[in-house]
Amino acid sequence: MHINLREEVKQHNSAKFGIAILLLMLTIALFAPLLASYSPNMQTPFAFEPPSFSHWLGTNHVGQDILSQLLYGARTSLLVGFSVALLATILSATIGASTALIGGLYDRITMRIVDAFIIIPIIVIIILVAAYVKPSLWVLILLLSLLGWQGGARIIRAQALSLKEMGHISAAQSFGASNVYLTFRHILPDLGPILLVEFIYGIRRAIFMEAGLAFLGIADPTTISWGMMMREALDFCYLDVWQWWLLPPGIALSLTILSVTFIGHTLEGALDPRLESEAIA
Amino acid sequence: MLKLENLKVSYAWEEILNGIDLEVKDGESLAIIGESGAGKTTLALSLMRLVNGNVKGKIFFNGLELLSLSEEAMRGLRGNQIALAPQNANNTLNPVYTILDQVAEPVLEHQSKNRREAREQASGLLSDLGIPKSRFSAYPHQLSGGEQQRVLIAMALANQPKLLILDEPVSSLDAPARAEVIELLKAISQDRSLIVMTHDISTAAKLADNIAIIYSGRIVELGLMGEVLSRPRHPYTRGLIRSYPDMSTGKDLQGIKGVMNRSVSGCPFHPRCTQAIEICREKIPPLMLIQGRYIACHRGGIIPLLSTKNLTKHFGSLLAVDSVNITIEGAETLALVGESGSGKTTLAKLIMGLAKPTEGEVYLEDSRVNNRGKDFYHQVQMIFQNPGESLSHRLSALELVREPLDIQEIGTKEERNSKARQVLREVELPETEAFLSKYPHQLSGGEMQRVAIARALVLDPRLLIADEPTAFLDSSLQAKILKLLLNLQEQRGLSLLFITHDIAVARKISDRIAVMKDGRIVEQGPAKSIITTPVHAYARKLSQAASSLSFEVKEP
Amino acid sequence: MFSIRNLALYLIAMFIILTLNFLLPRMMPGDPLMAIYGEEALVQMTPALKAELVERFALDQPWWQQFAAYLSTLFTGDLGYSYYYNAPALEVILGRLPWTLLLVGTTLIISTFGGIILGIESGWRRSSLQDKSLLTGLMVLGGFPDFFLGILLLIGFGVTWAIFPLAGAITPYSGFTGAALVLDVLHHLFLPVTALILCHVGASYLLTRNTMVTVLKEPYMLTARAKGLSNLVMRYRHAGRNALLPVITRTGIQLGRMITGVLFVEIVFAYPGLGYLTYEALLARDYPVLQGVLLIVAVFVLIANFLVDLSYSKIDPRIRYAH
Repeated sequence: MHINLREEVKQHNSAKFGIAILLLMLTIALFAPLLASYSPNMQTPFAFEPPSFSHWLGTNHVGQDILSQLLYGARTSLLVGFSVALLATILSATIGASTALIGGLYDRITMRIVDAFIIIPIIVIIILVAAYVKPSLWVLILLLSLLGWQGGARIIRAQALSLKEMGHISAAQSFGASNVYLTFRHILPDLGPILLVEFIYGIRRAIFMEAGLAFLGIADPTTISWGMMMREALDFCYLDVWQWWLLPPGIALSLTILSVTFIGHTLEGALDPRLESEAIA
Repeated sequence: MLKLENLKVSYAWEEILNGIDLEVKDGESLAIIGESGAGKTTLALSLMRLVNGNVKGKIFFNGLELLSLSEEAMRGLRGNQIALAPQNANNTLNPVYTILDQVAEPVLEHQSKNRREAREQASGLLSDLGIPKSRFSAYPHQLSGGEQQRVLIAMALANQPKLLILDEPVSSLDAPARAEVIELLKAISQDRSLIVMTHDISTAAKLADNIAIIYSGRIVELGLMGEVLSRPRHPYTRGLIRSYPDMSTGKDLQGIKGVMNRSVSGCPFHPRCTQAIEICREKIPPLMLIQGRYIACHRGGIIPLLSTKNLTKHFGSLLAVDSVNITIEGAETLALVGESGSGKTTLAKLIMGLAKPTEGEVYLEDSRVNNRGKDFYHQVQMIFQNPGESLSHRLSALELVREPLDIQEIGTKEERNSKARQVLREVELPETEAFLSKYPHQLSGGEMQRVAIARALVLDPRLLIADEPTAFLDSSLQAKILKLLLNLQEQRGLSLLFITHDIAVARKISDRIAVMKDGRIVEQGPAKSIITTPVHAYARKLSQAASSLSFEVKEP
Repeated sequence: MFSIRNLALYLIAMFIILTLNFLLPRMMPGDPLMAIYGEEALVQMTPALKAELVERFALDQPWWQQFAAYLSTLFTGDLGYSYYYNAPALEVILGRLPWTLLLVGTTLIISTFGGIILGIESGWRRSSLQDKSLLTGLMVLGGFPDFFLGILLLIGFGVTWAIFPLAGAITPYSGFTGAALVLDVLHHLFLPVTALILCHVGASYLLTRNTMVTVLKEPYMLTARAKGLSNLVMRYRHAGRNALLPVITRTGIQLGRMITGVLFVEIVFAYPGLGYLTYEALLARDYPVLQGVLLIVAVFVLIANFLVDLSYSKIDPRIRYAH
């Protein structure tokens, strides 16, 4: 399974687009404090201002600068996205690989639990938990990770199982290699591409969930989030303010999700040779 | 009814068919034989215009030029007047529909029947092909390979096609199923034209009256089945038949040296051909009618290497050789079988020029041989019965093998030595200094005979006359020497005139046998015929008296 | 093809959910009764009622007895009482369920059907302009979160050009019946369903298209072509039918997930389904309803999965008749 990521990206314009947008968002997130003219939380008496020189996107219902909120919102989305994806992927990889390698009762029991979790609807659980516990940003990240690794574990387990059967594993075993050695030297590197795809899609899921939960009003109200911005804007949709309040976070969110989707799609295409020479654009 | 003119099919990377000319008349059957990769399936598909590549040339079907038809018109012909039963692999039948539905489909498409009528017709077809009614609503994966093949054939027959194309119809079946399906196909082929693509010669022989051999995208031989199989005229065809195991062959299997390579200029077969000449490398030979057979070969097919005409020798009043006419072809073994005193050795000597004939001529490649000089001996060499006598006891093994080169003054001393070593390698003798410096009396019988063969080979002859070469060897050694000779024939294209009294040995090594008695050739022909159905009384006697390992086991 | 393995799976899933429902309120600091019923509810209760509830839930007993008590109340169909809606929680939830089902059902049917057709056509003409633009277009659509699309549609067609209503499933107090009622329902249904379809059609499309690409390479496609079948027949009857399998499977799985998947859209359009109920209950801290929703949704998902398992074999004869 020899995949040249650079080649894939070069060939597909969509991937290039995705990477460009993602880099843009990352830059905004990193440099938000420098780029924003105002503190996003600072309330002014000038509410519902249309876009002007001092406020490029106008102000919201409590006079906060929308553009600054937009820039800071990127931080939240990307932070949650990457953290959750990272944690979830690590969990998926560990559990998936270990069940494949160890097998036996451990494998059977764990997989039953994993399958059960896949069936359970996550969003309701999170809402329920949020009703009881005030979720701060980190609790949210933890929760999303704990509820999001199961799908990936299945996929990685399947891949690890097929890798286990490959010749170079048995060869290494015949030299007396331990399971740990096999995992780190042989299996994990070959799992790399799949883990990467899982990671990318995990980012997408997490960004969506975070935005959705913020939209519902469940998330931490002190954290600026695009979802939260949209929710507040929706409350005042009968006023004519939605163009500069509602659209920007929505478009920013959509673009970010889209960029990650494009990258993920290209990587998936690289993994599956049957869909070779596919080009979105 | 079907005529192909210079059909060329190529894909982006390769030319698969390079100018195919064929003709099939109404009711005729043609088998197309070739190795895998030769282009059989591409040919089958291009007849239906189902190839995805670049197609040039013309295909005439009942007057219509298929390549210039619109896709709609072509579609109207497919599964209708021209039908294909494709090779049965996994998933050649759609897994989600019953076989009855799939057979009814072409009926629905091309005839104006309703669903019920179409299914009725399909039922009839399936029954005719031997599928029981209970299986009609089965799905493909529930059927055996033989049943699946029958379904594919039923599908092809649905609309009574005028031309039926079969791509490897029985290759995926085991022997009993194979026999049944072949019987079926023979019955079907009565009312229509049939083209069968296969790599299996015996299937082709049973199904078709005509045969075309395809090699690397070109037809190399075309003719009547019986004639081509019993006397192939193209070196490739002969090689193919020789490599084919069947119950009636006696001669051991031989391969064709080399492998098929498409990017070859000139005749596509020339790198593997043992009679290739300069022009073969440069120009592609056209398929031409030569003596009743279509052959694509610059040399007109397998060349006659050596022939004798009315060769006669009197020793005083004794008629040793009486009007002998034999021909030895390139890369072929002719066994000359007869008892001692029949004149075999004399004949050999006559050919070699070691005795002068009273009458008659010897021809080497169609030119009469008058004086035998270096050129002749370059091409014809001989090995004798008793290696102990034919090898000078004064020369070492290396010197013995090198002698012909020394005599003919070919090359430098080093070159001669290395050539000598090379042939010693070919006859599977060691190259060690110790061996090379041995004298004949230090060698075993088998080693001596091998040295003799090596010596005969060092001039790269095209014909080797072997006079009872294994007479002084025990059977294990005899077997090895025979194998060696066959190997040399395969690799070098060496022709053999093998003289023996033992018809059983002749059987294992010869393509053709000439039976000699009292100086005359009483019968000659393909080895298979001479051995299984000898005509002349003497030949029959020889055959019966031949060594046989079969005997009755007596019950206790 | 009912299997013991799947049954065990469902039981484990239910168990996890029940445990969660059980543990959450009881792990909160303070009065467990308050955690179960919510602060506001408690204020309205009489001491006698409180005592009775304590006994029913065995709140002063050890853990396992509490769990047993919890389970037994569930079996009697008692999911608690919603103070906010002033009715048993089960009743409230079941009342909202049909609207969610309407939303989910319509969306699934149209988006799956549309996705399949588009996928077949796209896969057939792979790499053509049509294929590429569909692929790009639908992927872009899929990037939009469903609630954003919903909001855009709402603002566009609801607010700016007031063609469609802004909220609800039916016009309140209208007293429509028969055909007029149906039209009214459809009128209210249109925007939310459109938002959902736009979001979800991409997945079915992509799956169908990719499966088509693989299927078109199979030998039976050549066989079909050799029979002289028309393009339409080959595309749908032969290739399409085989390409269906993964999509139908996925749709079955989606059936369960969509119940909660429509949550955001319901909220945007104030559509009175389970999602909107959850939202309201969250705002009102109506714990019985929240827990009840989780339970009912879980049960529903499990039933849906079960039905999908059953219908698996109908679709693929290879599974039905596997030797």
